[in-house]
Amino acid sequence: MLEVKNIVKKYGNNLAVNDLSFTVANGEIFGLLGENGAGKTTTFRIIMGLLEPNAGEVLLDGEKIDYSKSDSIGFVTEERSLLTKLTVQEQIEFYGTLKGLEKKEIDKLLDKWLEKFEITSYKNRKIKELSKGNQQKVQFISAVIHHPKLLILDEPFTGLDPINVKLLKEAIIELKNEGCSIIFSSHQMEYIEDFCEKLIILVKGKAILDGNLQEIKESYAKKNILIKGDIDIDELKSIDGVLSIDKEKGEYVVKIADISIAKKVFAKIKDKNITKYDVVEPSLNEIFIESVGGIHE
Amino acid sequence: MNKKFLYLTKLSLNKKIKSKWFYVTNIILAIAIIALVNISSIIEFFGGDFDKNTNIIVVDNTNESFELFLNNMNIYNEDEKLSITKSSESLDSIKENIEDNDLIIILNHDDVEYLKAEIISENTIDSLTYQIILQALNSTKTTVGMIQTNIDANILANLSKKITVDRVILSEKNSADENMNLVMSSVFPTLILPFFMLIVFLVQMVGGEICEEKTTRSMEIIISNVSPKTHLISKILASNVFVLIQSILLILYVLIAFGISKYMGASSELVDLSSIIDALKTSGIMDKLYIIIPITLLMIIISFVAYSLVAGILASMTVNIEDFNQLQTPIMLISMAGYYLSIMAAMFDGSIFIRIISYLPFLSVFISPTLFVLGQITIFDMIISVTVLILFVYILLKLGLKVYKVGILNYSSGNVWKKFANAFKKNE
Repeated sequence: MLEVKNIVKKYGNNLAVNDLSFTVANGEIFGLLGENGAGKTTTFRIIMGLLEPNAGEVLLDGEKIDYSKSDSIGFVTEERSLLTKLTVQEQIEFYGTLKGLEKKEIDKLLDKWLEKFEITSYKNRKIKELSKGNQQKVQFISAVIHHPKLLILDEPFTGLDPINVKLLKEAIIELKNEGCSIIFSSHQMEYIEDFCEKLIILVKGKAILDGNLQEIKESYAKKNILIKGDIDIDELKSIDGVLSIDKEKGEYVVKIADISIAKKVFAKIKDKNITKYDVVEPSLNEIFIESVGGIHE
Repeated sequence: MNKKFLYLTKLSLNKKIKSKWFYVTNIILAIAIIALVNISSIIEFFGGDFDKNTNIIVVDNTNESFELFLNNMNIYNEDEKLSITKSSESLDSIKENIEDNDLIIILNHDDVEYLKAEIISENTIDSLTYQIILQALNSTKTTVGMIQTNIDANILANLSKKITVDRVILSEKNSADENMNLVMSSVFPTLILPFFMLIVFLVQMVGGEICEEKTTRSMEIIISNVSPKTHLISKILASNVFVLIQSILLILYVLIAFGISKYMGASSELVDLSSIIDALKTSGIMDKLYIIIPITLLMIIISFVAYSLVAGILASMTVNIEDFNQLQTPIMLISMAGYYLSIMAAMFDGSIFIRIISYLPFLSVFISPTLFVLGQITIFDMIISVTVLILFVYILLKLGLKVYKVGILNYSSGNVWKKFANAFKKNE
């Protein structure tokens, strides 16, 4: 289990991470969200032991993370951290050896992973000759070949097509089921919603929202009503508490301030030609924009 | 950690040695060195106008000067490419049959100047041949003059002898200044040049590799597995081992080149080894080799470490190879200054400025051994230089590692020197 306890990191007068705490249990995928410059990379670097926090501590299975623990951690960085002049095999052997594996062991595991990601034929090709998607797969294999206890995924799906996203998702789920603690960061909220049970949203280094994803959504006052049919938009807009009405994919999305407004909306449309009326939780994307935007305002 | 350090070092070394450029560069170096040492043989093999003998036809109107002239020509004409014959034919007849490589020298009696000469040729004569002829004529004229003024034969013989010089220098350390100037002018630039080249190699290798790992963002992954100190030291060790291998190879090429030269029985070499060795023996430097070699080697090793440390630290602050190329310029200029100052040391005997510079890290490795060989400094001065160098490397390691640790994770594109200062402050 990973425990991040009240970490603080300052660069001069700039507070990059401000009293951040969270835990990631074994077999759990944890979402770390934030706009650019929110402090995600600094947080990852502190977890990896690359940076020393000014206050607080990071524990993996109850022990402080240092170079003796680095063999238990895997890291997929946002940019592709690959030496482009090496071949796929050399690259994975390089990172695998740095994770304490023997060459023979790496070669055995490598074949399994290359087969899984359908890139066996690229084994002896140079990294620079591969497509962005295949480079991303190599980076992922490099990060997980040693079977880490903690895996940090920073934008792992960048450059991948839907088929390869599916392959990678399956691999991540497999690792989770094997008990690996995973921290996941992405700007694509649908991936976070797919994967993460728990998450934290960072703004200027401080957590402004954290907890269980479902609970966050439920506790979020604003809801959306999906309506299909003939409605009088102006009439609905006049209701106090209706925030906006948009048309998306043939249905209206009515954003309301809280759940009590749903009844007032329903009262206005119940006699109209309506085929769908559904009150849903807002998307994570909306919550993120709202939360981050609110702080900026 | 030890295993990872060895792995990183081995990987870095393999990357350099197994690269095709290493093979290509070494093939070119071997060919160039062998060709350079055997350049005279190569030129002679292809032949040309220089190879043809010049026939000197002497018309001696004095009837007494030819033998003297011939003797003098035999003294000055060391490479024996001039053949001298006396002709009794008329000048017009000789002129009619003159060829491209022929020369006619007419020796005439003169009441005032004893001997006058006329040189006739179809074309211009090469300057070396002309100088030899002039020297021989001057000597002949002196001898003719002395004979005509009835100087005793013994006196004449003694006058013609070369002067005997007993050279005595009272200061022991300057026992062979003149010989050392010969060594400095011919050998030292040749010995120091590969050393300068190896420093350039070293700086580019350490810096280039760190810069590459940084720009590809592999650095974060590497540094999360090994400490920045382990990482930097592995790069320094790998590059220095590479430089050592390259030095051994260079020495090997030189030995092969001289071996080929000996085997082919070359008449002349670019570097006259025997005269250099003689000069060294006369100077007494051979007796000091047991001190010079170990202390110079120690200085070279520590200086290489210092150069690679600085290259690594500077590379950690850069975000692309162009930045690094700019940053390495001052290092190159410093080593170049050391190279030139070491050559100039012989010209400015006793210069206080050069002596002070010889204590400075980076420069001491070039200048200090040179000044010692020249007898301008003592072994004590060399020990001071080595001590300063060791202290410098220690401070560099202490402070530089702090900068390196912050620098390798800094990707901002701001002013490099500002980043350098900030990185230092962050660690204070």
